[in-house]
This record gives sequence, C-alpha cells and structure tokens, in this order.
Amino acid sequence: MTNVDRLKVITRYIDNMPSLPVTVSKVQEICDNPKTSPVDLYKVISLDPVLMGKVMKLINSAYYGLSDKVTSLVRAIIMLGMNTVKNLALSSAVMGMMSGKKNFIKLNSDQFWEHSLCTGIIAKKIGKDTGVPRNEQEEYFITGLLHDIGKIPLITSFPGEYTKMVERFENGEYKNIIEAEYDYFELDHTVTGSMIADSWKLGEPVKAVIVSHHNYENIDENQRNIIYTIILADYFANLYGCFFSGNSCPSAPVADVFTEVGISEDYLTGIEDFVKDEMDKARVFLEIKN
Amino acid sequence: MRIKLWGVRGSIPSPGADTMKYGGNTTCIEVDPEDGTGEIIIDGGSGLRLLGNQLVKRYLPEKNIDLDFLITHTHWDHILGFPFFPPIYMPTTKLRFYGPVTYEEGGIEEIIGSQFQYRYFPVIKSELSAEMEYNPLRETSFFLRDGIKITTKYLNHPVLCLGYRIESGGKCFCIATDSEPFRNVFPANPEDPDYDKVAAEEGEAAAAEENRKLAEFFKDADLLIYDSQYTQAEMDKDKLGWGHSSFEFAIETAFSSGVKKLLLTHHDPERTDEELDLLIDFYRKKYRSISGDMDFSLAVEGSEFFI
Repeated sequence: MTNVDRLKVITRYIDNMPSLPVTVSKVQEICDNPKTSPVDLYKVISLDPVLMGKVMKLINSAYYGLSDKVTSLVRAIIMLGMNTVKNLALSSAVMGMMSGKKNFIKLNSDQFWEHSLCTGIIAKKIGKDTGVPRNEQEEYFITGLLHDIGKIPLITSFPGEYTKMVERFENGEYKNIIEAEYDYFELDHTVTGSMIADSWKLGEPVKAVIVSHHNYENIDENQRNIIYTIILADYFANLYGCFFSGNSCPSAPVADVFTEVGISEDYLTGIEDFVKDEMDKARVFLEIKN
Repeated sequence: MRIKLWGVRGSIPSPGADTMKYGGNTTCIEVDPEDGTGEIIIDGGSGLRLLGNQLVKRYLPEKNIDLDFLITHTHWDHILGFPFFPPIYMPTTKLRFYGPVTYEEGGIEEIIGSQFQYRYFPVIKSELSAEMEYNPLRETSFFLRDGIKITTKYLNHPVLCLGYRIESGGKCFCIATDSEPFRNVFPANPEDPDYDKVAAEEGEAAAAEENRKLAEFFKDADLLIYDSQYTQAEMDKDKLGWGHSSFEFAIETAFSSGVKKLLLTHHDPERTDEELDLLIDFYRKKYRSISGDMDFSLAVEGSEFFI
C-alpha cells in the first residue's frame, strides 16, 4: 500500500471512528435511561478517550463558535443540558461501532483503555498536586486520556501489520514505538493523533501533547507544563502496569521534565494507591471484570 | 415595535371555560418592527392558526407574505400550529426559519416537516408550496434585516432551546418562553458517594455564570416575555429539571436586569384563570416594595403592546 493510500484509509477511518468497545454498552445503558444522573453521564464520557474527544468536538463545532470554546464536560452538561449531551454521547458511541470492534479486539482494547484512563487520572492528580488552577485540571485529565488516540486508526485499519510490528518491537528490533511505526507505516501515532486533533478541533493543549509526548525537544513553550505532565503521567502509567502496545519498559523522562513539573520519582509511590483506587472505581462503574 | 401575543399557554392547547381570560393557545408571538420589512413570528404553537388567518387578510391579494420565523425550540407545543398556517400552502409565500442547531438526525426543517405525513395529517410535506429557507442558529448575534439585530442565548430546557433578543429602532424586546434557571446538577455534598470536588465546583461556577449571562441577555429590555409556568414552591416540590421557571425567578431576574416591562408566560395547562388572578395578585403584593418601576403582569392571549 502506498503512503497516499494509507493516508486515505486513515482519514476515512477517523471520519467514522467508533467508540471503545469497553464503554459502548454502558453508554447505551446510561443514555437510554431517562433517570440517568449527570454524574453517571459525565463519568461514562470521561472514561473513554474516543467518546470524550468526539463529544467535546461536537459541543465546540456544532454548538459553539471557536471564540467560546467549551473545555469542560461539566460545563457542557450544565449549558446544553443532559439530553443534548446524552444524544451526542450515544450517537458518537455507536457510530461505526461494529466495524471498529472486530479489529480492535485483536490488540486488546481494554489495555488501550486502561493506559489512556490511567494517564488521564495521573495527569489530573499531578496537576492538582502541583498547583494547576482548578478550572484547568479537567483539561489535564482530558489530555492524558487522549494522548495516544492516534494509535487507534493504525491498529484498526492495519491490525495484522500492527500486531506484527508490536511483536518485533517487543523482541528488541526497534529503539522505540515511534521508530517501529515509521518502519511499518511511514508515519507514527503522533501524526495520526494530530490528524484526529485537527479533525475533531480538540484545541491547542491536546494537539500539542499528542504531537510532542514522544519527542519533546522542540515544543510549544505555552504548552510546556501540560506536555511535561502528560509525559510523566504516561511514564507512570506504564510503570504501574497500565501499559499498551510495547511500551512496557519505558525509559524515564529526562530530569528536566521532573524539575519543570515539580515532582520526583518518589512522588510516584505516594500516589499509586490513589490511582489504583480510581482505576478500580472506573472498572466497577463500567462493570469490567479484572 | 409592535408585539402581539397569539398564544401564551404552555405544554398543550387548553381551551375551555377555565382558560377564557388568559387564553388556551400555545406559544406564538408576532413582532412587527414597524419599518415596513414585515413581521417576525416567534414559534408556531396553536396560536399560529389565528395569526395565519390574519396575515392572509392583511396581505392578500395585493401583497405576498414574506416573513421570518424565530423558533425557540421544537417541542410540540411550539410547532403544532404549522399545519394550520394557511400561508404555508401558498406558492407566493416566502418564509425564513431560524432555530437552534441540532446534532440529532434532521434539523428544524425535518422536525417541522415531519408533521406533514399521512399518518398525522392529510397533507404531506411535498405539498407545501411556500418558499421556505432554514437557518440553524447557535448562541450568536446577527442582523436579520437592516437595523434589526437578533441575539440568541441557550436556555436551560430538556431540548436545545434559544431565547431571543430583538433590537430595532433603539428599542429592545426579549423572549424566553421555556427557561429553567441554570443549576449545578453535580452533587455538592462531600458526603455524597458521587461527590467530585472539581465537578461540584465547576458545576456551581458554570450555573452561576449562565444565570449571570441570562440576566445580561435581558439587560434593559423594554419588554421581556418570560417563562413562569410554576411557582417556586411547585418547582421545589417536584418540577426541578422540567425546564421551566418560577414566578419568583422571572420577576427577580427581570428586575435585576433593568427590564421595563415583564410579561409572564407559558401558563401551565392546569392553571385556571381564577388561579392565575390569585397568583398575580400575590406576586404583586410580594414584590411591591422591591420591583421599583418595573411593570409586570400575566401574558394574555390576543393582547398587543407597543414599545
């Protein structure tokens, strides 16, 4: 397949990107229930990177102009009402679900979901503990949740090649996942992630993190703190065992990243119980068996 | 600007001996900027039938009907008058519809048009001869015609619903027919198992900000027509989340916004004339000392105002 053909496949996939199979049935249950609590609606959207991205896209593109970007799901639920957000979530969740499910399962979408959510939880926690203003903490969560979203089109559109690539990566044939992806697809998940960020109008912080979370030498200075925070959250999520697609033995970020964010490796041990509790709560909520 | 109320009842047409004084037709408001550019009609509730008949008499055969509809939302009581709006069947009529965007399949065109199916009505959509144009709106501000500025604001209702602010010739008319005060729907009690500090605080701040924006939206209006389907006691008892306001909230918000005249509308279909008389007396007494120069009364079907 030529690079152009591959890009066409990826673009087509992004236009109809399904929600994660792990959350779909819960989304349907919650959105079909007239007595759903706002908290449940908020939770189920927050727990799925695809759904969160798509709902925020729809809110901002369909209901608000670019000058009034809504960055918080809580705010969207209060402004637009439960029914509108329920409809958005439901239609986003089920759109193209069947076609996406089959391929994604091969690479264990639960692992992808765990890693994404774990990164989001840690990022929000770091943000809170390092004095990020309260109204920006949810952005840290969303950004953590979405940082690897670019892997989904690659995995789902080219499942055989991606599985083979991961095997070779795990056998030590590549330095890192980016190099492996380039070898196979002539692009990597930060590129496809950036395409999603553009298509869904996810906003600068999310896009900057997606683009720079594996390569942070030349970054947007305005987004330095959030990028570094996600890099650390990503690293911690892998260390906790919430890893995905060959990132099981991540190399530690350089010391500057820790210094800039204002935490140390020791901080990790301190929040492990908190993160595991939050992950357990999410699993219970989505009725996922451990 | 001339404003005529063709329907002020909420939820469902409610004809009968008990609703003769305030009227039983659902929302339909005619706004005439009196600049010769034609009427603006807000919502197509059952009151639209009477207005349609009047427009035919007013314009035909000398002139064609050419006007704008501002739709607040697409709940039945706000659109059920369209099949009985005679101008919609005339090829010489031009109608431009404005209403809230919707992400669900089919926008306002399909929703209004969906009434014209044999299962509901003996005329189908393809038989509508009028030239119709549909314009989805977000929260925005634009000139509908020269010198007529429209501003919209999302309201708190169980479907996407817009309030309209119409400014023309130095006068301002605002309307919010279905508008529950914004409130924090996330648990604020730390003891609640679902409590989330960030969500609780963000929810509180968002609700307060939206209510502040609502008051700003009505600022210094010469006339405001505002939802008062329930009393505060009824809201607190079992009507929270139904998407409507209380007399108390309507009066207090209008007062704080510097509104000159307030008309309370969307009367509950169960509310009799006698009950409405008692309620308005009660609220006039209650707010006598604080409502200042603001004049407030109940919206009455068929009444007309000039600002």
